[in-house]
Amino acid sequence: MTEVTFPSMSTGGCGTGVVATWFVTEGEAVHTDQLIAEVAMDKVDAEVLAPADGTISLEVAEGGEAAEGSVIALIQ
Amino acid sequence: MTTASHETAQRTTEPTRAPLPVEPDPGTRRLSTAKAMVEAIAQQMRSNEEVFVLGEDVGAYGGIFSSTTGLLDEFGPDRVRDTPISETAFIGLATGAAVEGMRPIVELMFVDFFGVCMDQIYNHMAKIHFESGGNVTVPMVLTTATGGGYSDGAQHSQCLWGTFAHLPGMKVVVPATPYDAKGLMTAAVRCDDPVVYMFHKGVMGLPWMAKNPRSVGPVPEEEYEVPIGKAKVVREGTDLTIVTVSLSLHHSLDVAEKLAGEGIDAEVIDLRTIVPLDREAIAASVSKTKRLLVVDEDYQSFGLSGEVIASVVEREPTALTAVERVCTPDVPIPYAHDLEYAVLPTRDRIEAAVRRLAGAK
Repeated sequence: MTEVTFPSMSTGGCGTGVVATWFVTEGEAVHTDQLIAEVAMDKVDAEVLAPADGTISLEVAEGGEAAEGSVIALIQ
Repeated sequence: MTTASHETAQRTTEPTRAPLPVEPDPGTRRLSTAKAMVEAIAQQMRSNEEVFVLGEDVGAYGGIFSSTTGLLDEFGPDRVRDTPISETAFIGLATGAAVEGMRPIVELMFVDFFGVCMDQIYNHMAKIHFESGGNVTVPMVLTTATGGGYSDGAQHSQCLWGTFAHLPGMKVVVPATPYDAKGLMTAAVRCDDPVVYMFHKGVMGLPWMAKNPRSVGPVPEEEYEVPIGKAKVVREGTDLTIVTVSLSLHHSLDVAEKLAGEGIDAEVIDLRTIVPLDREAIAASVSKTKRLLVVDEDYQSFGLSGEVIASVVEREPTALTAVERVCTPDVPIPYAHDLEYAVLPTRDRIEAAVRRLAGAK
């Protein structure tokens, strides 16, 4: 199982952002480097790419808050 | 300069001429409208070295509404050019490049800024083809952000597609979905005519702006075109026809889906292109439903909504039994949230109009 984490976007690395868009749905097959999400923090956006092949389960709903480094999805 | 030398100067390259798939199956890969638009630009830049991008903050910033994100990294500063704040200068530059056979994509950051550069747009970009007797083409794309809903005030919230559509010589496309954003951009870049490509900020699927679920959707990875000038029946229905465009499509579909549960069956047409206007598609639908609602975020008077209604009346003078329009009334867009939403074509206003039309005899 591979964890997908909220990317580091601030200098301190301890901020909180929002999972703005999920481009994949619960249980969908994903492949490495596929665009799966877009996150936002303090007017800065970042793309999240799948770190592994597998089936994804979403741990944070679209629009939900998440801390930098926290798990937002799992790939099995 | 002679006609012959102009023809020599036209450097239209072969790759843009190879036919592409037209409206292929969307598949399952999902993108936001902004990312679909960028993907189309990147694919056309890869396949034709004459395609380049210029405008304010299109480089490192990636477009303030993410319309050019990542292009600088792939194509470098020669082909993705940040410009000074002189719309007259850089739209004129793009027109000149197009006349010489390049295929510029030039961004006017907000359509509201057209006032400082309209001579370059409607007297040059739009008329060189005509005034040269067809000897010189202007294969450029003018992209611009439109629309309100996020308290950006009267000078940053207008749609104004009716203004551009009123002036002959420019095609005007207004995509509402990721699929159409990519297909229409591809078609616009490959088109030999000047095309104004107007993207509403509210359909881009931006992380920092409230977004309708339809602003993220399936987009083929391959190159393909959505034909310029072809409307789409997005939802079939029998009780009335809603003709709309851009973000108002999303609101109209939300209302149509809600009222379907009450037995009101609305047909929804996304114009997708305003020039040339698919008048036949509008008339065909209304001849079936007899009732017409036009939903347009642009100003009500002297614009798209009246033109749509006239298209029906000219073709089917007796078809209409009821007609309404939900538009922005003829006032500047307010900054204050509640006042702005009092003038925008909201779901509530659309729903009320649909109910009136469905109950009309």
